[in-house]
Amino acid sequence: MKLLVPVKRVVDYNVKVRVKADGTGVETANVKMSMNPFDEIAVEEAVRLKEKGVATEIVAVSCGPTACQEQIRTALAMGADRGILVEHDGVLEPLAVAKLLKALVAKENPELVILGKQAIDDDMNATGQMLAALLGWAQGTFASKVEKDGDKLKVTREVDGGLETVSLKLPAIVTTDLRLNEPRYASLPNIMKARKKPIENVKPADLGVDVTPRLTVLKVEEPAKRQAGKKVGSVQELVDKLRNEAKVI
Amino acid sequence: MSNGAWALPEELKMLRDTARRFMQNDVKPAEDRAPHDACELPVADLAPLQKKARDLGLWCYRTPTEYGGAGLDLLGQAVIAEEASKCRMGAYIPACGAFGADPPNAIWLGNRDQIERFGIPAVERGQKVFVAISEPSGGADPARGIRTRAEHRGGRYVLNGSKMWISGAGSADWGLLFARTGAQGERGGITCFIIDGNPKGLTKRRIGVIRAWSPYELHLEDVEVPVENRLGEEGQGFQLCEKWLVEGRVPYAAACVGIAQAALELAMDWARQREAFGSKLADKQAIQWMIADSEMELRAARLLVWQAAWTAALGGDLKTDASVAKVVATETAGRVVDRCVQIFGGLGVAQEMPLERWYREMRIKRIGEGPSEVHRMVLARTLLGGKGRR
Ligand SMILES: Cc1cc2nc3c(=O)[nH]c(=O)nc-3n(C[C@H](O)[C@H](O)[C@H](O)COP(=O)(O)OP(=O)(O)OC[C@H]3O[C@@H](n4cnc5c(N)ncnc54)[C@H](O)[C@@H]3O)c2cc1C
Repeated sequence: MKLLVPVKRVVDYNVKVRVKADGTGVETANVKMSMNPFDEIAVEEAVRLKEKGVATEIVAVSCGPTACQEQIRTALAMGADRGILVEHDGVLEPLAVAKLLKALVAKENPELVILGKQAIDDDMNATGQMLAALLGWAQGTFASKVEKDGDKLKVTREVDGGLETVSLKLPAIVTTDLRLNEPRYASLPNIMKARKKPIENVKPADLGVDVTPRLTVLKVEEPAKRQAGKKVGSVQELVDKLRNEAKVI
Repeated sequence: MSNGAWALPEELKMLRDTARRFMQNDVKPAEDRAPHDACELPVADLAPLQKKARDLGLWCYRTPTEYGGAGLDLLGQAVIAEEASKCRMGAYIPACGAFGADPPNAIWLGNRDQIERFGIPAVERGQKVFVAISEPSGGADPARGIRTRAEHRGGRYVLNGSKMWISGAGSADWGLLFARTGAQGERGGITCFIIDGNPKGLTKRRIGVIRAWSPYELHLEDVEVPVENRLGEEGQGFQLCEKWLVEGRVPYAAACVGIAQAALELAMDWARQREAFGSKLADKQAIQWMIADSEMELRAARLLVWQAAWTAALGGDLKTDASVAKVVATETAGRVVDRCVQIFGGLGVAQEMPLERWYREMRIKRIGEGPSEVHRMVLARTLLGGKGRR
């Protein structure tokens, strides 16, 4: 079974994100960029499926500027076999990415696409679902467990208040949740091996996809500052504040 | 053709990421459970970390692959040493020991038998090894300072004398010891010996110092060393010693940069939170300048460390570049950690923060591995054209 794993280049999860002074977006100049953590989980799951003998080949894809090669290289160092960079410098919305992935699916014929459930930059949580819709494939989103079950895929999903297990017909789309696995770090021998793995370069136009944005960002703002807490002297004062200031009782 | 532009190789960036995550997610939680001045982790914590480091290919990263290490070149060593020092005990026990301890590289210049008896087991089993150069008569100038004598008698050498400030000697499996076989004062009269375990006539005394990890004084009274444990030829000791010292200065300097960088990040976080006189410390110009100065000086130090590694890769004069990097990195780190202590106020000197320990331990870095004055003296002589010039 061949797997396609899309990986997105995002601001590193350790970086405190700052809004640009003009409110048009977040600051990415001179900021450490990394693979979206949910995508790391996707790569890890793919590699585990390969180690179990379920998957035969893992193709890592990234859509964005040339620098996305770094994230593809990381996926290769984790165990993916080859990479595809869909090179594009401007904004790429989830629908555009889903269309690009659909075109790649047509080219590569994978049986399973594993994506992160969302990217930590815009938190859209949309690409996987859009891709499933465009392809008309089954989808198992927010996966916390993925198992091959005969010619089907059994996916345990994290839903409000519990777990749901679905059985998917292949080919299928899976999106990863945090608890699916703990991604490995790239080891030195695998980093050296990744150097020799190929990365193919294509442009959206080569795939016949129009990626023109359809959304307009009006304004990006910092979340409202949390107000400092207060210490109260007595239960009486607490009740009084809850009633008259917070107005919750 | 390169256009002169230079960036860290992609593979090293990835490896740095791996080391960073390992330090943050694996080493730090284990170290948080250990006492403030701990110099090792309990086996239950250390063993799984070492296993993981071996799997990641970071075990003994300064040792050539043919002997079981990761075989990183000096640039790779600098990059990893900078990350590995980012823990409370990191000034002297990188990664809390998770990456093992590289035996002194001089052992790889020994013969096959010595490499197999001492070098390889040290890598495989994570043994501890000391290097004894300094003596009570002085460490800055070992060529003149070394008085410990080795007499060749039959199939063995008999050693008499003392060594001072020897790190790791207390629990070492073996060590390299430099003693005089020739005339007092001549460089060519120094020979290197492998001291196996605790031979008869060797006594060790712990010396309490400013750092948590105590060095030892060694006293040798008719200590017998078989001829097959002489490393290199008679009179080659100084050369072997220099190889160890010069190459070692690159990761040594990088580790200081790492500690200072970690201290600066802690101080910046604190400055953003802490308020005084109605605004955050981060808004005070006096604090901003401390942070800006630290960042500028750290960038300069890091680049000098990398440049030394680069010089080595190009076959240039590593000795001078390594001295420059060592002095700048150790002095910079001392200043940066000092400023960070100041930004934290009382917390900076509390034994609840790594800063207190780093502040103490950074002080030694300007004395060990060649004190600042000696590196400056050697550099100036190189620039000015030799000692005899008037
Ligand atoms: C914690 C610790 C661990 C150590 N671990 C080891 C170890 O594992 N193995 C080992 O062999 N050694 C070790 N050392 C010893 C260390 O290398 C020496 O302390 C160092 O070389 C200085 O030697 P010294 O202390 O004898 O000082 P001295 O040689 O007496 O020098 C005293 C001072 O005079 C200065 N000085 C010397 N010459 C000149 C000059 N020409 N011009 C101006 N100033 C000069 C020096 O810079 C220094 O500041 C360790 C030291 C410490 C503190």
